[in-house]
Amino acid sequence: MLRKLNLVFEELFIFIALLLLVMFFGVMAENFFTAGTLTAILTQLPALTVVTIGMTLVLISGGIDLSVGSVVALSAGVIGIAFTVFELPLIIAAALGIVAGGCAGLVNGVLGSYFRLPVFIVTLGMLEAGRGLAYMVTDSQTVYIGASIQSLSLPISGIGLSPSFLVSLGLVVLAQYALTRTVFGRYLIAIGTNEQAAKISGIRTEPYLTWVLVISGLLAGLGGLMNAAYLGASDPNAALGLELSAIAAAVIGGTSLMGGRGSIVGAFIGVLIISVLQNGLAQLGVSEPVKRVITGLVIILAVLLDRWRSR
Amino acid sequence: MTARIATEGLDKSFATPVLKQVALQISPGSIHGLVGENGAGKSTLVNIISGLLPPDSGSIALDGRSYSPASRKAALVAGIALASQELSLIDTLSVAENILLASFPQKALGINRHAVRQRARALMDLVGLEHLSPQTPLAQLSLAEKQLVELAKALSMPEETTRLLILDEPTSALTSPQANLLHQIIKQRSAAGLSVIYVSHRLDDVLSVCDTVSVLRDGVIQLTAACTSLTSNDLIRAMSREELLRHSDDKPRAFGEVRLTVEQLSSTDFPEPISLHCHRGEILGIAGLSGAGRSELLHAIYGLSAERQGRVVLHAAGPDTVIDSASTAANNGIALIAEDRKSQGIFSGKSVSLNTTIAGLGKLGGALSTILPKREQRVSEELIAQLRVKCEGPLQTIDELSGGNQQKLLVARWLQAKSDVWLLDEPTRGVDVGSKLAIHNQLRQLRDQGATILIASSELEELTALCDRILVLSNKKAVATYDRGQWSKEMLLEAAFSNYQGPRAAAG
Repeated sequence: MLRKLNLVFEELFIFIALLLLVMFFGVMAENFFTAGTLTAILTQLPALTVVTIGMTLVLISGGIDLSVGSVVALSAGVIGIAFTVFELPLIIAAALGIVAGGCAGLVNGVLGSYFRLPVFIVTLGMLEAGRGLAYMVTDSQTVYIGASIQSLSLPISGIGLSPSFLVSLGLVVLAQYALTRTVFGRYLIAIGTNEQAAKISGIRTEPYLTWVLVISGLLAGLGGLMNAAYLGASDPNAALGLELSAIAAAVIGGTSLMGGRGSIVGAFIGVLIISVLQNGLAQLGVSEPVKRVITGLVIILAVLLDRWRSR
Repeated sequence: MTARIATEGLDKSFATPVLKQVALQISPGSIHGLVGENGAGKSTLVNIISGLLPPDSGSIALDGRSYSPASRKAALVAGIALASQELSLIDTLSVAENILLASFPQKALGINRHAVRQRARALMDLVGLEHLSPQTPLAQLSLAEKQLVELAKALSMPEETTRLLILDEPTSALTSPQANLLHQIIKQRSAAGLSVIYVSHRLDDVLSVCDTVSVLRDGVIQLTAACTSLTSNDLIRAMSREELLRHSDDKPRAFGEVRLTVEQLSSTDFPEPISLHCHRGEILGIAGLSGAGRSELLHAIYGLSAERQGRVVLHAAGPDTVIDSASTAANNGIALIAEDRKSQGIFSGKSVSLNTTIAGLGKLGGALSTILPKREQRVSEELIAQLRVKCEGPLQTIDELSGGNQQKLLVARWLQAKSDVWLLDEPTRGVDVGSKLAIHNQLRQLRDQGATILIASSELEELTALCDRILVLSNKKAVATYDRGQWSKEMLLEAAFSNYQGPRAAAG
């Protein structure tokens, strides 16, 4: 019974941290509890959420995906060009963008697991190459797409939540289910905990380590769509450094950089903490440099707390 | 004459006593051989003298003065040089840096590089590494060359302050001319007054190079005598303990059909092909000294080795299955319980339940199959009860369990995966006596239910108690197979030592 509580406790812990943060800003900033803040948070959130889902899965498998920010920009670029220059229907353009992300993930995965190159290096290369491709696709220009794509990030009347947000929320639930209740998720945890023992247990590690990077690529592709929807345009400079925010959110949510341990729900709360922090600090009139210092401290604090908690 | 080194009543226990009242005396200028089978206590004794382990009780005197080194460093200062079997070298440093790591020539600011090269050069020429540059990175060297570097490192201490040189299996990777050179060097040094402890499986070497030899068995010195009066058979007899070998069930039992065939299997770890087969309801033991290739053989059968050649075939009622990878092995009923439980067995930090069910998940049918937590817990609760694992329940973290109970869970893991061919590497190493008996009984029960079992063990008593046949490996080669009732410990040991004697490979 105690142990069961402990499992719930893992996510409960950071959820309480999130609530405290919200209460803090509620008291300190006069306008925090307004529709404006909520909209700001909800529109920025989906892209980071889906990218963080992929990142968390990769981290749990013992790897890392540094390329996600660039892949978001690449996917957004592909969507913008397919829609405006080639005049393809938006749905086809969106699919192409997501597939482009999947392809980047496939390259990462194959090089990482079948060619046994360190994933850190491979995805670092993809971070550079993906950004370059995004510039090439868009000719280094921001491509305006317009209102048709923006509807994805606008609230649906009656619900008050955007399609992007609903999709990202659905993916959180799906990924948490896949992680905790399917053989796929179990194998990722096993491989991330002890790859050699996983092999001896009969798990073919290569396909799983490839798939997890493909999934991360596909989700980054989807993140590109959400980013383009939020901006109404494809910006080749979009999502610079997003990989670091995603890693930070995952770590705040209790994911271990050593592999084998993590939670999607936790990572989602991590995303919320980062968003609330950024918006709350902005409302308090904190300058950008100070905001970054505080965010950095929060990440370190989260890891310290996690260390203390797991003792 | 005062002994160079004299131990008195040395005791050391880990889980069980390893050394019992060891009294050893070595004269100045003597080359003293130390032999015994696996686990006899040789390494422990050597580690105590070289300052790596403290004894539980007893005393050591060095040239008549009390000597109790607090660390390896203290032993070095006292003049005890060691060339270890587990080479103490660093791959990323150069040969010269490795040789002089403990005693870098200093100058006013930092290391005197010129002196390093010069002194390393002299030592390398001495041990037969003339062909290498001192700046060569160690990683580029062959195992034999590394062994010579380890030796040069041990010889790097100034001759006048070195009082005892300990060589632990110094020739295991060397060719004949290299070993001869080594023997020449230590004979010269001993003539100049250096004492040497020479630990080796190669009994012929020991008899030819040493003047005195001691035989350890179960942590007790059985025999200390001048080498001139002994043959290698005398040594083997002193190492073995005949009386424990007879068992009530020494009659050969009936087996089922052949379940596993290994044809001409070889890998980088054992280049000479090995063939074997094992029936349903049979336990085949794999014996051999440490480093003989026992684990490597099991890993190759399971499909894990690099550059694996030959065929491993599983026979069943249906078509045969060729085992070409660990996943084919695991998913067709083969279980491997590796020697190193921590790095190759358990999933550390995870629950008992995850650790129990992981190998059986492949049978659920695909990566997207659902795991039902309630059912998973019920399955592992049943196995916990069946194997009498002492734990709080399926959700306890496996690290909190004792070694014996972790080992039982690994057995449970493969029971759950419905394995019927078991490859077990040192299945009872480091577990308590109670768990050991429980594991033995479990294996007998599996055997009676028709399982095919291969056990590699360094404990001959374990193999003779459990096995129907024993295959003996010696120096990476299969040398003999004995049926139950036809073996004696002496025969098994003789076979285990056999391929270390005879002529070695030519220089290469």
